[in-house]
Amino acid sequence: MDFIALVLQLVLDTSASWVRMFIALGISVLISIVVGIYAAVSPKAEKIILPVVDILQTIPILAFFPFALFVFVVILPGYIGINAAVIFLIITSMVWNIIFGVYESIKTIPREFLEVSDLYDFDRFERLKKIYIPAAMPRIVEQSILSWSIGLFYLVTSEIFSVGASNEQVKYGIGVAFASLAYQGAIPYLIGIAVFVVFVIATRFLFFRPLEEYSTRHIRSQQKVQQGNAPRYERALLGWVSRRISSAPMIIKSNRIVKGRKHISRVPVVEERRDLKILGYAVVVLLVAGALYTFASNPVLLGYESQVLPALAASFARVWLAFAIMLAISVPLCVYLIFMSKYGRKYMLLFQIAASIPATILLPAIAVTIKQGELVALVVFILSGIWYLIFSIMASVRTMPQNVFEVSRIFGVKGTNAWKNIYLKAILPGLVTGALTGIAAEWNASIVAEYFTTSGVTGTTNVVSSVGVGIGKLLDLSLAPGGQGIGLMMVALLNLVVMILLVNTFVWKKLYNKVTKVYAG
Amino acid sequence: MRDEHMKMITLEKVSFLFKNSNLEIIDSISFQANKGEFISIVGPSGCGKSTLLRIIAGLITPTSGRVFFGNKEITEPNRKIAFVFQDFALLPWLTNQDNVKIGLSRSEMSDEAKDKKASELLDRFGLSGFEGYYPNALSGGMKQRVGIARSIASDPQVLLMDEPFSSLDELTANSLRSDIIYMLENKNISVNAVIMVTHNVEEAVELSDKIVVLSDKPSRVKEIIKVSGARPRDKRSKQFADYVDRIYSVLAQD
Ligand SMILES: Nc1ncnc2c1ncn2[C@@H]1O[C@H](COP(=O)(O)OP(=O)(O)OP(=O)(O)O)[C@@H](O)[C@H]1O
Ligand SMILES: [Mg+2]
Repeated sequence: MDFIALVLQLVLDTSASWVRMFIALGISVLISIVVGIYAAVSPKAEKIILPVVDILQTIPILAFFPFALFVFVVILPGYIGINAAVIFLIITSMVWNIIFGVYESIKTIPREFLEVSDLYDFDRFERLKKIYIPAAMPRIVEQSILSWSIGLFYLVTSEIFSVGASNEQVKYGIGVAFASLAYQGAIPYLIGIAVFVVFVIATRFLFFRPLEEYSTRHIRSQQKVQQGNAPRYERALLGWVSRRISSAPMIIKSNRIVKGRKHISRVPVVEERRDLKILGYAVVVLLVAGALYTFASNPVLLGYESQVLPALAASFARVWLAFAIMLAISVPLCVYLIFMSKYGRKYMLLFQIAASIPATILLPAIAVTIKQGELVALVVFILSGIWYLIFSIMASVRTMPQNVFEVSRIFGVKGTNAWKNIYLKAILPGLVTGALTGIAAEWNASIVAEYFTTSGVTGTTNVVSSVGVGIGKLLDLSLAPGGQGIGLMMVALLNLVVMILLVNTFVWKKLYNKVTKVYAG
Repeated sequence: MRDEHMKMITLEKVSFLFKNSNLEIIDSISFQANKGEFISIVGPSGCGKSTLLRIIAGLITPTSGRVFFGNKEITEPNRKIAFVFQDFALLPWLTNQDNVKIGLSRSEMSDEAKDKKASELLDRFGLSGFEGYYPNALSGGMKQRVGIARSIASDPQVLLMDEPFSSLDELTANSLRSDIIYMLENKNISVNAVIMVTHNVEEAVELSDKIVVLSDKPSRVKEIIKVSGARPRDKRSKQFADYVDRIYSVLAQD
């Protein structure tokens, strides 16, 4: 193919994708401002919004994509519908951390600022304009940068997905382009990746950098000295990962107590925890009871269930196998970077660039080269999840007191002793957080990684790569032509979400509480 | 009887407890600030001084008891009562000029008139040229000057100050202290009573007409000590040292 034409086509495709991204980001920011501020100023809203957002950010939203696609395409005419579905999906990946960013900025506004607005009798609008929005602005920008990277994953994935699993497809888009580039040899494919990376870097410097400078103009004069050498992206990412764990509603601690006519004081943390726990269990019990009843009394659903359970079990095994491999790679790597290497920070930069390339962009190439369905899925799972683990571990170690590092030096702790008592213990909190988010990313990836076809590219459906059984494959197939339709899909989604909530409650939250108890004291 | 006409702020058996912890912080505190007076409140750390000052400002409602401004009960912030914060509480995203303009929020002035007044005030505190800067570009002393400029922008009669000088170096603090005394004693400036919370006993003796000494939780008035002598006071005089000793000994008693 003519080189110039290819590049032009790629630029066009990427621009189309970027338009979707900007629309999604704009909407996400608006939603975040409204929801985040509301949650922060109204204790009642806070009690509902925080747990809901927390759940939404750990379930694999991508799994809902076929469903969203279905709904949007039914409601809106073809091309608009599919784009709306893609944008919707990107929003669902971008919005949560921005909401928490806004929420936390508002919660950490010094009490004095609110008192100033009381003393000088600000009305609602003035409060919003002079206090809340400016206070949230730096975090909004910071989180938007991160959301952009996360959104890219969903963008590419949903575009590829729209090609692979349904008759509807996005016409222009980098994901679409990649699906077909994979068949045109290594050079066009690499050119595609190059164009993509150029767009990523250009967006970072031409769009986010100026925004960042504007939103922090009043802070910079003071903080230049301390933070000058830490790249903002890194801080954003690390902040996000550590925030993701601390954002779990039961863990939020607010020491700042706002008193006065217009601010109602916080309910103590302990109470909040118990409430939520009971509420959580009640919801789970109700769901399970309801589901059991419905299923037992309906042979069709029972039939679906008998397909879903093995698929879920197979994917579960795959996800956790990939997780074990992720651990085996990232733990020694991080320990090396943290405790042994002098150049940890330089590697981090490299990782960040690598992490900004969505694993799904590589999927077509991986699928074409490896050709072995199970292996393809495993590789894509690992590539999707491992960054969360690495960044989270690195982030949590950063906040660790310096003397932890010095202890191992001063007392000459070495070998297994060092691993057992220092290295592993030091990275544990970050590891738990990273595991939680990394596994969520794996489940997301399962939707594309377990079953990948060429229907949109060539007009005929060629299965490029497929696992034997898996929940992702099942979801894909349920809505494909000749599939079993929406009923099966709903049952599959329900199973998936329940499973993830159970694992969150009984594994991660428990582990996390244990870890924080030890580390806080 | 003459004092009755001159009273600015009156506290009547003010008590306060935090609802959610049921912790009694302030127990039946009464005192009065008259026209022209500088009152200091001293007490152990965490005893509730800031809470008390916020009650006087109308930011917090007392659990029981009442606070009056003149004859009017204070139930919400009032533009004639201004507040100076320990950490300045300047909004970092507003320029210094806009921060001072915040102090004029309740006024009916046009925006240009507010701008003009804000720059005059900044000028008065030696900050002309810094109008367009953000607070973070300023030193602590300069920030507190902006904070004071903001608080007196609305021509308040009472100035409430919560450890206003404790995060400043001694030299800067001294010059700001004399600024405050100047405002209090100058008839052309609206301020005619100051209530200041402080940890610094010397500072209290140097500036105050009355020093309210509080006990630890729950905070009660241990003693109100009147300090005589015109300001500026000689910190090396025997009389000054006696006052300081006396306050320390009241603080130390159980
Ligand atoms: N919302 C709250 N609930 C319970 N206790 C509180 C709350 N806010 C403050 N306190 C407690 O009330 C006490 C008084 O607080 P306050 O800030 O008024 O004291 P202070 O005398 O100004 O202290 P400092 O000398 O440190 O400035 C403190 O012991 C504080 O821990
Ligand atoms: Mg205080």
